[in-house]
Amino acid sequence: MTTADARAPRLPDFVVRSERRPYHSLNPATKVVIAAFEALLPFLLGGWAGGAIVLALVAASAAVARVLRELLVVAAVTLPLVASILVINTFLFPGATDPIVRVGPFAPTWSGLAFGLEVTLRLLAMSLALALVYLTTDVDDLLADLERRGLGRRALFVVGAALQTVPALIARAGQIIDAQRARGLDTEGPFWRRARGVLPLAGPLVLGALTEVEERTLALEARAFSAPGRRALVRVPPDSPAERSLRWLLALALAVVVMLRVGGRLG
Amino acid sequence: MTLILERASYRYPGAREAAVEDVNLRVDGGEILGLVGSNDGGKSTLCLLAAGLAPMTLGGHLDGRVLLDGVRTTDLRPGQLASAVGILFQNPTTQLSGTTRTVYEEIAFGPRNLGWPLAKIVDRVEWAMESLAVTALAARDPSRLSGGQAQLIALASVLAMAPAHLVLDEPTSQLDPRGTQLVGDALSRLAEQGIALLLVEHKTDLLERLARRVAVLADGRIVAEGPASRVLADPALQREGVEAPTSVGLSRALARHGLALDPGLLAEIGNPGTPDAGHPRSTTAR
Amino acid sequence: MSALVSLEAVSFVYPDGTPALDSVSLSVRQGERLAIVGQNGSGKSTLVRHLNGLLRPTRGRVIVQGRDAAELRVAQLARTVAVSFQDPDRQIFSGKVRDEVAFGARNVGARGAALDDTVVEALARVGLDGAAETNPYDLGYSSRKLLALASVLAMKTPVVVLDEPTTGQDARGLERVREIVRAMPGEGRTLIAISHDLRFVAEYFDRVVVMREGRIVMDGTPEDVFAEEGWPTLASTYLEPPLPARVGARLGLGSTPTDAALVQALLAQRAVNRR
Repeated sequence: MTTADARAPRLPDFVVRSERRPYHSLNPATKVVIAAFEALLPFLLGGWAGGAIVLALVAASAAVARVLRELLVVAAVTLPLVASILVINTFLFPGATDPIVRVGPFAPTWSGLAFGLEVTLRLLAMSLALALVYLTTDVDDLLADLERRGLGRRALFVVGAALQTVPALIARAGQIIDAQRARGLDTEGPFWRRARGVLPLAGPLVLGALTEVEERTLALEARAFSAPGRRALVRVPPDSPAERSLRWLLALALAVVVMLRVGGRLG
Repeated sequence: MTLILERASYRYPGAREAAVEDVNLRVDGGEILGLVGSNDGGKSTLCLLAAGLAPMTLGGHLDGRVLLDGVRTTDLRPGQLASAVGILFQNPTTQLSGTTRTVYEEIAFGPRNLGWPLAKIVDRVEWAMESLAVTALAARDPSRLSGGQAQLIALASVLAMAPAHLVLDEPTSQLDPRGTQLVGDALSRLAEQGIALLLVEHKTDLLERLARRVAVLADGRIVAEGPASRVLADPALQREGVEAPTSVGLSRALARHGLALDPGLLAEIGNPGTPDAGHPRSTTAR
Repeated sequence: MSALVSLEAVSFVYPDGTPALDSVSLSVRQGERLAIVGQNGSGKSTLVRHLNGLLRPTRGRVIVQGRDAAELRVAQLARTVAVSFQDPDRQIFSGKVRDEVAFGARNVGARGAALDDTVVEALARVGLDGAAETNPYDLGYSSRKLLALASVLAMKTPVVVLDEPTTGQDARGLERVREIVRAMPGEGRTLIAISHDLRFVAEYFDRVVVMREGRIVMDGTPEDVFAEEGWPTLASTYLEPPLPARVGARLGLGSTPTDAALVQALLAQRAVNRR
């Protein structure tokens, strides 16, 4: 803010939106740094310990933030990937000589299973750490915070627009389906019948999106999007010295682990 | 505050024929110039041209000149252009930024881009919302507005940038009579403040009330221009795909039977504003 | 004549808790042209979405051709009630104008030469007969809107519902829409339209329903609804009676909602004065 106007502008509450829920109320950058630390730690520590510690940490944070249920849903979504990693490693682990059973050409091994579990534990820890950021952070809070930290406005706009377009696209898809149903498209009943609804839907959705790109570009230009210079931020997510220290501490810890790891390898 | 098109012809990139040809128009500050014509007659292209987006953002080729207060639009940089002339597009939903969580922040998007201090942004946003009576929508998610609501918010977003020239492409197409009235009132007030407005409208009743002059565009050319009362009453208008105002249609229907109404009476009844029991308002809007 | 479509005390609340219809009862007879007017958000679009089952009542019943709509799927109801929505871009999906018009007709059973004839006829009625092979996205907005209208007409349903058919149309498009509305009763078809254009409503519809905050506050012929006694009710939902109605009232001629009605009243008055 310049000194041109000393009076503090009164922004309405719904814009300022102070977040009071625990963990949610952390600065977005703090949550991102914590997630990055948690995501990398298991890979740096190796073995079972890192994955297990991080998973416990993430679960505890989610419990504090009261998003444990949502986090479990995310975990469930990753199940197919987890299962395939387990199966592949158990059956195809190279050089393993400790078969669990032998059925014809198939020979699942204990060491393959153990390795698979270790890998999935790390992957799970990483994905849940990142999911926790998403579950506890408003996208526009994150973008506003990054913009304040001087990240490229265009890049942020693209990310923001993409993320916020999804719900709009879903709403639009619903309207288009309704319009086709109003013209006799049967989408009720068995699966194949509902699947037939997909084609009519995809057309206007994609075409609409394509024809709108030019209009959107023009509209952005008309609203001075490409004008140079800094923009006043309407709302800035709060930050605190304590959080700043925490972020530095975590970064430092990560650096230490990396050095130990690299040193350990070398030694 | 003057918007001038001088022998302006414009071809879209890759097009052989001009979409707008040899157009001369002048809109002075404090004036609303109505623009009518059949669909696909080039009205929206003319809007893009007047707002400088064609050729700056769209590309294509411009012959002649488009001048904002004497400065050619092609000599302005994007940021300068946006603060010199505001444009409202036909489709209200595509002009919302799609990145804001509340209507309030959406309206603040343009003013922020102009680099204004926060206090000025807040003032303009609130002023724009009050002008169009949309303050109640301030906390809503812009992606979940109805067509009519989105149209009002898109207009508020343009007004908040305080442009000296305003180009509006069918600003009331999705509005109910109440919304149309609100927009009409807001546009008259802007004209009173000295802004130059170019208004594309199918609703000739609205133009009859708002515009001092009206121009008719057909196949990219201006085929008629003059005082609103004369142009809108011209029998040739229908041939250009433009529906006559209600009062003109009624007078003609009466004339066919040798009947006529006192023009003073018709003007008085024809333009009373919304008859509005619980919401007193001026009945002399002019 | 018995009702073709009726709503019996239908209330509807959106899943987010927003009430949209409050005990609405309405029955529409065959061949009727019914206009629904009211402010944005008064429940007009919600109401018409009940006629083909896109929305199901929270309370109350919808009866279509004597059957409870609750027993029928949307696709079955579409054989009786075809609905065209306000925004053509949320409807059009084909790469060719011809295919777009054929889509609905095929869904309700048209095949072969009959289908072809139907498509040609529907396109001619909206003036797009020259554009059958065009990509709909190469048409202007108003032409796309007429295309959406044609694709619903081609279904040849007993009931046609149009949401704001006149918006965005120039004089030529308006004339097409008017012709279609005019021809409906002669074809034995019933038309229900949502419109903000009260002049259009008064001139071309037999019956007007005024909605406010999810309720029907007026229901009658244009003469009834636009008569001076009703003006306060109209004003409460920001509607202004059509110009000839206002002129007729000022001149003490009774309810004259259309140009023609005003002309008749003035001629009659002149005849009386001469006598």
